[in-house]
Order: sequence, then structure tokens, then C-alpha cells
Amino acid sequence: MPPEAKALLRTSGINAGYGTMQVLWGVDLDVRAGETVLLLGANGAGKTTFLKTLVGLIEARNGSIVLADEDVTRTRSSDRMRRGMTYMSELAVFPDLSIEENILIGAQALGHARPQSRLEELYGLFPVLRDKRRDAASSLSGGQRKMLGIAKALAADPKLLVMDEPSAGLSPLFVKEVLRILGSLRERGLALLIAEQNIGFLEVATRVFVLEGGRIRFSGTVAEMADNEALRRAYFGLK
Amino acid sequence: MLVYALVAGLLFGLYFSLVGIGLNLVFGVMRIVNLAHGDFLMLGAFIAVGVSALAALDPLFAVPLAFVVFVLVGLVLYRLLVPRLQGSVNPEMLSIILFFGLSQVIEALTTIAFGTSERSIPSSELGAILAPLRVRLFGDADGPVELFGQTFPATWAISAMVSVIAIGLVYVYLYRTRLGTLTRAVMSRRDEAFATGINVDRVSAAAFGIGLGLAAVAGVFAPFMFGSVTPAFGEDATVTSFAVVVLGSLGNPLGTALGGVVYGISYMLVQTYLSSWADLLPYVLLILILLLRPSGLLGRRVRVA
Repeated sequence: MPPEAKALLRTSGINAGYGTMQVLWGVDLDVRAGETVLLLGANGAGKTTFLKTLVGLIEARNGSIVLADEDVTRTRSSDRMRRGMTYMSELAVFPDLSIEENILIGAQALGHARPQSRLEELYGLFPVLRDKRRDAASSLSGGQRKMLGIAKALAADPKLLVMDEPSAGLSPLFVKEVLRILGSLRERGLALLIAEQNIGFLEVATRVFVLEGGRIRFSGTVAEMADNEALRRAYFGLK
Repeated sequence: MLVYALVAGLLFGLYFSLVGIGLNLVFGVMRIVNLAHGDFLMLGAFIAVGVSALAALDPLFAVPLAFVVFVLVGLVLYRLLVPRLQGSVNPEMLSIILFFGLSQVIEALTTIAFGTSERSIPSSELGAILAPLRVRLFGDADGPVELFGQTFPATWAISAMVSVIAIGLVYVYLYRTRLGTLTRAVMSRRDEAFATGINVDRVSAAAFGIGLGLAAVAGVFAPFMFGSVTPAFGEDATVTSFAVVVLGSLGNPLGTALGGVVYGISYMLVQTYLSSWADLLPYVLLILILLLRPSGLLGRRVRVA
């Protein structure tokens, strides 16, 4: 994909934090339509803070967020979601709601007219959820909850799905399953922005941004990252 | 005597469920403690007294009136108070102080307006519009009702019946409406609700309004269940509500129904066998449940408050 391709999402100079503590320092990042971008960083690097700023759960102190050609920096998170950016947090689901209620709730909250219309398609993608549709989400295993979280975020029919550590707390087997699902979402043309510390996700990524201490330290393709000696040592454990 | 205490306890228990359910709805959604809950109940009682004394109507007409008026009061109060609370560092603690202050203000203003004398409504006035139904069910229009071979004031049965209907409607709201599903989502995980794009502010305002409306509806029956009310009644009602809510399960509105029934039966057993200890009951039950099963009888996780 040529670098000049139009961005679906572009952030410029994002500063954000909590109270007197500044976490993000001038973060620039972009995601183009249909591509999968990995935001790689260790614990405490500021990945979650960045995603929350992106979707409007934390207000940016400076900088701008442009989504589908519109500056959304000062808009509410529900407005950003209506413009096509949905968010899967690390918690991902409502444990006290049924599985079907969880799937439908994002679309309901955003006022979609017929949220049920996508149910069959989503159950096709996650058959295990169809079998347990009436059960409480708390009855699911960690991996199944992640699948429910993805289904819940997809029900609102986004153009860009923002995911916070989809591999957190999962066994390697489930991580593999999540990667398979993300691959199939990419094939359907959905843009993905995935915050992770698991380098296994490089497998599905088109481009990578490395976040350290709240600053972007690297941005480029997976091949370019592998060519960078310092990053190779830090993330691949190679010399 | 035991059968009487148990059936009367069930009738009172259903009523106590209504007393507590609004408090629990507000806590479950907003994680703030409304210490003025009992005062809104007391104001509902004064609406019933007004409807009966001034308009000479069946106090049952005060039920929709109290509900609508206090839903609106709740929406206005929410806009005035809650955003500032939620923006503070410790909203739970601040809410206790703020609503304690509000409780004192409501009591003082009601005392200035109506004095401290006890207000009651003749029992025969409640449910006068239901006379044909009562004749069909019990054979007369204004006598006591007979249940399981025991006779009880008809006002207790009517209060319990309205409470069951109100709790049923809360169930329908929470489980059969779109706003109710969003409300349960906020109760389940507030942070995730924001992350899902739910308008948490709108859901919270609705819960606060409905919570106050339910308190006022419970208040309509207070003069019949407790004989009379004064402006100071709100304080006792708040303590009772807390006992009922903590017994059932804090943060789970429908658990309040169970808490109410357990409380009601305990209340009537103590009234029957140890009447001089009855005033201690809410405090004793609160201490016991917090020591033995802090998550409440339904066992939902303990919420930070």
C-alpha cells in the first residue's frame, strides 16, 4: 500500500494523561482503510491511554484526531463510534448480560435501527456464541469472552476496530484462534488497530508503531522493524 | 400466631421491597449512596395525605401522581448535583455527605411547611376505587381481608399488591426495554459501558428519576403501613431501606425483593414475640448480614461504596 494512501484515522501530536501525570507525548499515528496496524509496546508504555484517547474516553490535551476526514478530537465517544470506529477494551464484555445482549448492545447504544440484522453473520463467525446465546457472559472462558468482545464490537458495523490487548490472559491456543479471526476480518476489508505486547500479532500486521514511554519510537512495515537492530533485540530477542 | 406473623411478614416484606428498590437501582447504576432516599418516601406520603385531604380522592390516585412528580424531580436534581459528584475524586464518599445534607434540607423544609404533627389517612379511603373487586374477592368492600385463615387490614394487602406490580414493572423495564438493557450494562460494568458508546449520563439520569419515583410511590402507602408519618419519618425509612438493600444484595435491584421479604418476616416475628426490640431490627440485621454475608443473600459481589 503506498504511504500516500488516504488515512481512515490520523492522530497528530496527541498529548494526554491522568490528572497531573502526562502519559502520551506527541503521538502521531495513522491507519488506512482496510489495513491492520499493530501498536506494540510493553506494559506501561501508554497503549491503553492512547486507545482511550482515540475513542474519546480520555480527552486529548493537545493534538488532533481525524476520523474519515472529520476532526473528532473534541467529540463524544459515541459520535466517534457512529462514524465507524468501535473499541474492544481489555474487559471486552458485560459479565451480567447474556451473550446475545452483549452482541447487540453496542449497536443498540449507537441507535442502529435493526441491530439483530447482523446476528446471523456474527454467529457464523463465532459459532460457539450461537450455542450459548441465552447464557450470561460470565459463564464463558477467557478466550470465548474475547470472541464475544470482538462480536460485540463488530455488531455496530465499524470501518475501524480498535482493540486493546486481545491476547491478554489467553492461552497460546486461543491466541492462535484470535489471530485466525483477525486474519478473516482483514480479508473482509475491515481496518484494525491492535495494541499488543505479544509480537505474535506481527503475523497479521501491515504496519507497526512502537510506543515507549508514551512516545512513538518506530513506525514502519514489519520488514522495516525486523531490519532495525535495537528493535530486533528488544522485541525478537535476536542479535 | 406464627402463621399470622409469617403472612403479615410477607405482606410487609413485599412492601419493604418497594421501599428499598429505588435506592438499590440508583446505587447499582451510579455507585452513589442516596441518603435522602427515605425523605423522598416521606414526601410521597405527604402527596397521599394531600390527595386524600385536599382532593378527597382515593390515595391510590397519589401513586401515578407521586411517581411522575418525583421522576421529574429526580431528573432535575440529577442535572444539578450528579455531574459535579461524578467529576470529583471520590464520588461515593462525597455522595454520602451531599445526600445527607439534602436529607436534612428536605426534612427542615417539610417541617416548616407542614409542622411536626403526625399525619394519617383513614384506612377505609385506600382502595375505595377497588370496592367492586373487593366485594367479588372477599365479600365486602371495606372490611379486613382473610388470608390463610388469618385476617389482615385490607390496606396491607393493597400495599403488597401495588408493590408486586411496581417490582414487576421494574423487571419489565430492566429486562424487556432497550433503556433497561443499557441500564443493566451500566450496572454490570460502568467503564465498559463508556467504552461501548452507551450514553451513561442518560441511563443514570433515568435510573435516578425512576429511583426517586419508586421511593415516592412507596411513601404513598407509608401512612397505612406505619399508622402515620411526620417529616422525621424519612430518616427511619432510609435506615430500613439500607437494611433491605444490603440484605438482598447491594447493586442488584431485583435482589431487593428477597431482602424485603426476609426483612418483613423478621420484622413481624420480632413485633409478635419481642415487640420492644422491633426498633433495633434494621440495625441488627445490617450488622449481621455485613458480618456473615457481606455480599447479601443473593451473593452478588460487594461493590465499593
